[in-house]
Amino acid sequence: MKRYEKKSDDSSVTVLSFDTSTAAFTAAIVRDGILIDSIISFTERNHSVRILSEIKELLSRNGLQGTDLDAVAVGQGPGSYTGVRIAVTAAKTLAWAWSKPLIGVSSLEALAYGAWQGLQEANEDMAQDRDTWIIPLMDARRGQVYTSRFTTDHCGKWEAVDGDGIRLIVDWAKRIEEEATLESQVAAIWFVGETAPHQATIELAEQSGARLRIMACDMNAAAVGQLAELRFRRGERDDIHTFVPNYTQITEAEAKLLAASRGE
Amino acid sequence: MSDMNSSTGPSSDSDYLLLAIETSCDETSVALVRNGREVLSNIISSQIETHKKFGGVVPEIASRKHVESITIIIEQALREAGVSLPDIDAVAVTQGPGLIGALLVGVVAAKSLSLALDVPLIGTHHIAGHIYANHLVGDIIYPAIALVVSGGHTEIVLLEEEGKFRIIGRTRDDAVGEAYDKVARALHFPYPGGPYVDKLAQEATEEVVLPRAWLEPDSYDFSFSGLKSAVLSEINRSRMKGESPDFSALARGFQQSVIDVVTTKAIRAAKEFGVRQMLLCGGVAANRGLRDRLSSLCEEAGLPLLIPTNKLCTDNAAMIAAAADLKYRRGQFSSLDLKAEPILSLEDWSV
Ligand SMILES: [Zn+2]
Repeated sequence: MKRYEKKSDDSSVTVLSFDTSTAAFTAAIVRDGILIDSIISFTERNHSVRILSEIKELLSRNGLQGTDLDAVAVGQGPGSYTGVRIAVTAAKTLAWAWSKPLIGVSSLEALAYGAWQGLQEANEDMAQDRDTWIIPLMDARRGQVYTSRFTTDHCGKWEAVDGDGIRLIVDWAKRIEEEATLESQVAAIWFVGETAPHQATIELAEQSGARLRIMACDMNAAAVGQLAELRFRRGERDDIHTFVPNYTQITEAEAKLLAASRGE
Repeated sequence: MSDMNSSTGPSSDSDYLLLAIETSCDETSVALVRNGREVLSNIISSQIETHKKFGGVVPEIASRKHVESITIIIEQALREAGVSLPDIDAVAVTQGPGLIGALLVGVVAAKSLSLALDVPLIGTHHIAGHIYANHLVGDIIYPAIALVVSGGHTEIVLLEEEGKFRIIGRTRDDAVGEAYDKVARALHFPYPGGPYVDKLAQEATEEVVLPRAWLEPDSYDFSFSGLKSAVLSEINRSRMKGESPDFSALARGFQQSVIDVVTTKAIRAAKEFGVRQMLLCGGVAANRGLRDRLSSLCEEAGLPLLIPTNKLCTDNAAMIAAAADLKYRRGQFSSLDLKAEPILSLEDWSV
């Protein structure tokens, strides 16, 4: 069994984080919540080609080696099955080979968290004493999205309302709109991430009540690293060997077999 | 990575330890091999039980399984070999051919190890692995002919010298293993049915003689789809007549046709190219009928024959290490941007 090395100054935490669940390859080094350096690239459609040389470059240009890290953080999905597997395989193998803790973070949560930081920086017109809902979207084809819901405010609240899942955008947008209309504590609703394919559906869902806002944004590994650091400081670790992507659904072949066994 | 491509590779006589990973289909395998020939460990985690209920390998499920087991198998291989990570001098991995999603897991894991351990990476051809599995059980004498028979491949490969591959014959439709599995399904055997057909054919007392697809007189290529159709139409013909088909006679007829064609062509190639050795390899090399026939034909021709043990015939990482050794000793390493290739030329992979 592996033991994690204890660093001498255990107040400072350095995390290498990366995510390949979307069209972006993104990697970052985050130290004590602060982004040190990051890479984002859309050039290769196949993230498996450049992932390790990009990580190597990121580490070396910051004078870091595997031994200098406190944890390896990775976007666990959901997202592209093949894409998520690439980052998860790299994270498991690197964490295991370096004997470093592995911290998985929901790719959707990272997408939402990154967007929320962007919104705060842009100083959007947000009520100080009320909540904002952040709803990350990744396109999952056939009118479906990988999505979840977070509620946040300006005092640092960050809570999941709905977990990661694959949902029909038309139903999901309608449900959010209806719930927001009834919930007076909610001041703003933001659909963020891969919003372009679903903009029309979201706009159609808007009835009389809450205003549904949309902000397209890309995955950013800085958010993966920041969320992972929070988990790390709470003492949470993932088991490297049993760590797997969150696909949110069984494979088509398994679904068919299940349906057949039920006599469908 | 330019430092890795320099000509000052490691000398051939120094001891070195290679960790190899194979995930091209439904087996997660990791091996530790010293000096390209001494297998310290060769862990094979088969997913066969998972894929059985689907009647074949489901690529997405195979990929998911590889992620689940990859670090477990790496750790197990190290433990069984009694070595630790810093002892490793290079990492080899199956680059292709194979199922892309499955290959990706092995390739990314291998690249991660190469980065973490700061050792060279060797992208390896799966068929070169099958052929060089023979190097784990004996010395290869060149020129040699390799008869590669597996679920995905049926090829006659000429090795004029070490590490130089020339394909002189290949299947134009189904691979032998594929034909076996399809026929096995027609004979109501569960997946994978090859071994059942082999056993049934061995035990048969009767034989339904089926056609041989020799193709053009000078061709070393194969075609098995017609033979598979012949089996199916024999079954239909019996049923139309209200008889129950003689499965064992059919299994024998099928097996005899396959063995006749592949061994005859392999021996003819051996004679034409004046080779000094025959190598049998691939998953179907475990087939008893094929082994026996090729052995007796080689004996008649005075041609030494090498066949790996059954474990080394199926997909395994030790064979990948055996092939990667060709590149290691020549200092021919891959960059960290190595790309998994579902289709990869064996000839181009030559040293
Ligand atoms: Zn194979």
